[in-house]
Amino acid sequence: VENLGEVSILKASSGFVSTNICLWLLNAVHQPGSHCVCLLLSRYKDLHVYQLEHPTQVIEWTSGKTVCVAGFTSSKNEILELRLPLKLFADENKGLCAERDFKVVHGGFTDAPVRCLRHIPGTRCVVTNDGLSSDLQVWDLGGDDSDVIRRTGSVDGSRGVSEGGSRIAARLSSQPQVLHGAESAGVRLTQLTSGQTVYTLETDSADPLSSLHFVSDAVFLAGCSNGKVYIADTRTSAAPQLSPPPPSSGESVLWWTDASAGPSCLDPSSCRIVRLSSCGQTVISDLRNPGGAVSRAQLDVQTRRCNADDVRVSWAPALDDCIAVSGFSGAVQIYSSSVWTTELQEAQPLFEHRGHAVSSQSDDGVPVFVTSHVWHPERPRTLLSAASDGSVHVWDWVDQSAAGC
Amino acid sequence: RSCILVSIGGKNIMLDCGMHMGYNDDRRFPDFSYITQNGRLTDFLDCVIISHFHLDHCGALPFMSEMVGYDGPIYMTHPTKAICPILLEDFRKITVDKKGETNFFTSQMIKDCMKKVVPLNLHQTVQVDDELEIKAYYAGHVLGAAMVHIKVGSESVVYTGDYNMTPDRHLGAAWIDKCRPDILISESTYATTIRDSKRCRERDFLKKVHESIERGGKVLIPVFALGRAQELCILLETFWERMNLKAPIYFSTGLTEKANHYYKLFITWTNQKIRKTFVQRNMFEFKHIKAFDRSYADNPGPMVVFATPGMLHAGQSLQIFKKWAGNEKNMVIMPGYCVQGTIGHKILNGQRKLEMEGRSTLDVKLQVEYMSFSAHADAKGIMQLIRMAEPRNMLLVHGEAVKMEFLKGKIEQEFSIDCYMPANGETVTVTTNPSVPVDISLNLLKREMALGGPLPDPKKPRTMHGTLIMKENSLKLVSSEQALKELGLNEHQLRFTCRVQLQDPHSDTDTLHRIYTHLKSVLKGYTIQHLPDGTVMVESIVIKVSSSTEDPNTKVLLLSWSYQKVNKEATSSKILQQGTDSSPNHYLRKCL
Repeated sequence: VENLGEVSILKASSGFVSTNICLWLLNAVHQPGSHCVCLLLSRYKDLHVYQLEHPTQVIEWTSGKTVCVAGFTSSKNEILELRLPLKLFADENKGLCAERDFKVVHGGFTDAPVRCLRHIPGTRCVVTNDGLSSDLQVWDLGGDDSDVIRRTGSVDGSRGVSEGGSRIAARLSSQPQVLHGAESAGVRLTQLTSGQTVYTLETDSADPLSSLHFVSDAVFLAGCSNGKVYIADTRTSAAPQLSPPPPSSGESVLWWTDASAGPSCLDPSSCRIVRLSSCGQTVISDLRNPGGAVSRAQLDVQTRRCNADDVRVSWAPALDDCIAVSGFSGAVQIYSSSVWTTELQEAQPLFEHRGHAVSSQSDDGVPVFVTSHVWHPERPRTLLSAASDGSVHVWDWVDQSAAGC
Repeated sequence: RSCILVSIGGKNIMLDCGMHMGYNDDRRFPDFSYITQNGRLTDFLDCVIISHFHLDHCGALPFMSEMVGYDGPIYMTHPTKAICPILLEDFRKITVDKKGETNFFTSQMIKDCMKKVVPLNLHQTVQVDDELEIKAYYAGHVLGAAMVHIKVGSESVVYTGDYNMTPDRHLGAAWIDKCRPDILISESTYATTIRDSKRCRERDFLKKVHESIERGGKVLIPVFALGRAQELCILLETFWERMNLKAPIYFSTGLTEKANHYYKLFITWTNQKIRKTFVQRNMFEFKHIKAFDRSYADNPGPMVVFATPGMLHAGQSLQIFKKWAGNEKNMVIMPGYCVQGTIGHKILNGQRKLEMEGRSTLDVKLQVEYMSFSAHADAKGIMQLIRMAEPRNMLLVHGEAVKMEFLKGKIEQEFSIDCYMPANGETVTVTTNPSVPVDISLNLLKREMALGGPLPDPKKPRTMHGTLIMKENSLKLVSSEQALKELGLNEHQLRFTCRVQLQDPHSDTDTLHRIYTHLKSVLKGYTIQHLPDGTVMVESIVIKVSSSTEDPNTKVLLLSWSYQKVNKEATSSKILQQGTDSSPNHYLRKCL
């Protein structure tokens, strides 16, 4: 019996030899709500499954066709820039393109784990943080003349902070700059070439961060693990706006945040924030009224064990009101928030990608967890997801409600 | 194209002899002028080894052996020997008949070439001559593909050909023991890729077939008799069963007979599972797959047909293609590479109008799908193979050096071995550390042991004196005396002398005594003796003092030492210089 647990040679009663097909496909057949066997193959438009040598916690776009991934073991790790399979992008002549593999276009080595990796738009530069201190490492991905990713420098983080490492954000600007910090007090915007700090966020309390996001050229959000969200403008020295944490039960509740539409959002105040808690409570707010809630939902996150580092919540960049959630289990769930109301009600996912759990390569009984996911910036339903067993999937899901099967 | 020349221990071996499928002129052949500018290759090569039947590895073999000229042995596995001539003949037909080429090998040349083939079994050492031996290992990839271990004396090379490290439905994964070759030569065309899983490729295949069948279309799958065809059949059979599909699947009979024949011959080459289940039965007794009759092609409704040949260049698959090409509901799935000049190659390049015999045109309206199922080792696979074989050096061929620096660094770091990436036409020289076994005489060994001190080890070698005698193929280390005795020679001793002039008014005896006292005080740890015969000895350097005949105040020191002790004594002499009267004496300095 092979890895996936499904290719086995059985002797049927008639004496024939038959081979069972993928359990994963079978699972899809028995999934609640799928009453039609033809859904078997129609759940995904495209599906690619890869196995990295080591798991990654980061997936970051470095162009429309390339992503960076990196290891997070305590000793030597690799940073890889992968080009997505050509078949995925060959929209017209898809049939004639047989190319289904990732191409490792650039690779490099680092001596520390990579917990956060951000690409500086408009450059061939990425910035990483090892989760052990708040300092950042700066890398040059390389061009056509070499396939080696080299360390070119570092950026100092705030002193005296160590837990959890820094979060990083970047946006397209004339001078390569990076926004970073481990806590709300001390988030700084640093110019990469000079190392100069151009802006520092000052808050009353030093709240550990779970993420940083630019919503426009100058406005950014600092999402804190305690549920607070600070909204600041790098052009002014005025105090940031504070959106208090949504009411929740329990002190040990952690929160994750995402902001919709970055640089393409013309009016920052129409941007929305989604906050997700470790018990699955989800709140959507509008930047015009950061303290209030536009809608809420209770998601079934099946928390058995939750690694704060793994959880991701993200807005779909090219689909209205769609949110992806991962990190609580071996699945990535897609929700449509358009049907949510201000009342806290249970929400069902629009789609669930359970490939990582079902096709898990690990055989020591440890459940597989999704460590990261990203949406493709333009293709509406294309995502990449990575899991703790080293798997990386690229999938283009079909909206079953629209398919009408 | 793959064609690698290896010189090892004085032997020359050619690894693979492939054709470059992208060129139409002489560039498609390997450049044999690297071996010799003119004339036959027989005298320059000890053997030729072919890894598997793909044309980019064996396509130029008949050209090399019959048109350039080579009469020595050509080694390949049994399945390769059986399948090679078929593919070569097909290839020849396409190139000569379809494309009208002239500088190409003939059918007779293929036959003559194959007569020179010596078949190999897995894991069996074959003596090519009394110094060169080779052994084949399982490579996966295609039926009969092998990795080859080549050994001359204590030096060895492993060539992988094409291989894969993940098992297939019908083939196992490559395997090799910890043979620790000096060089491991591996293809690196796919070294910088990470392969999409087999499941996803299969899913795509099933999805396409299913979509066609659902809309009432017919699916043609042109295949070569062996290998991939069986895999796809198993897949479809299972899928049909699971989905309870009714559309017929056919497999053309010519295919069945050939395939059965080959499978019976080469059952040991397939996946263990297939072997266990199919060894006793006809492997085409599927519930849903039936034998094809050419009249079925005109039947209405959906169906799937597997037919030969694989590149749509002739025969049944081409006939069916012509019938079905005009309907957009139909589909053709090409599961592999197609040679230039074939219909398969044209449609895979997007051609939608084809010129057929008799000036007629064929409109290609059916859906064309290119699916690659062939298994190659990716970056992870290469690392796995290195872990298995533990080579001392790594050589990657067929990659672009600029795009492989990272992999080179990875290999060098993880395994602490050198990694080379030569371009076509480049030569790489790898230094090896062959171990040379030498017998040592008991007397010599006892004498060295008696000298005491720590036992020598690889990190702390100890110098010893002896004589190396080479008799026939054996090497013996004996003491110098024993060697001289055996040779019947007398021993001679060389002694060096050096004269140093000093200004010293004292008597000869007094000067000598002063020297003795001084040396005793500065050269602690050395044996210094003042002998009654009027000499001072520092270890084995003899020092004598005499007065110059012209001037009694000028003393001449005579230093004398034997050949072996040069270094030590040079130190002593230096100190001697420093200790005596300071009058500058360049003679002294020159001596020292």
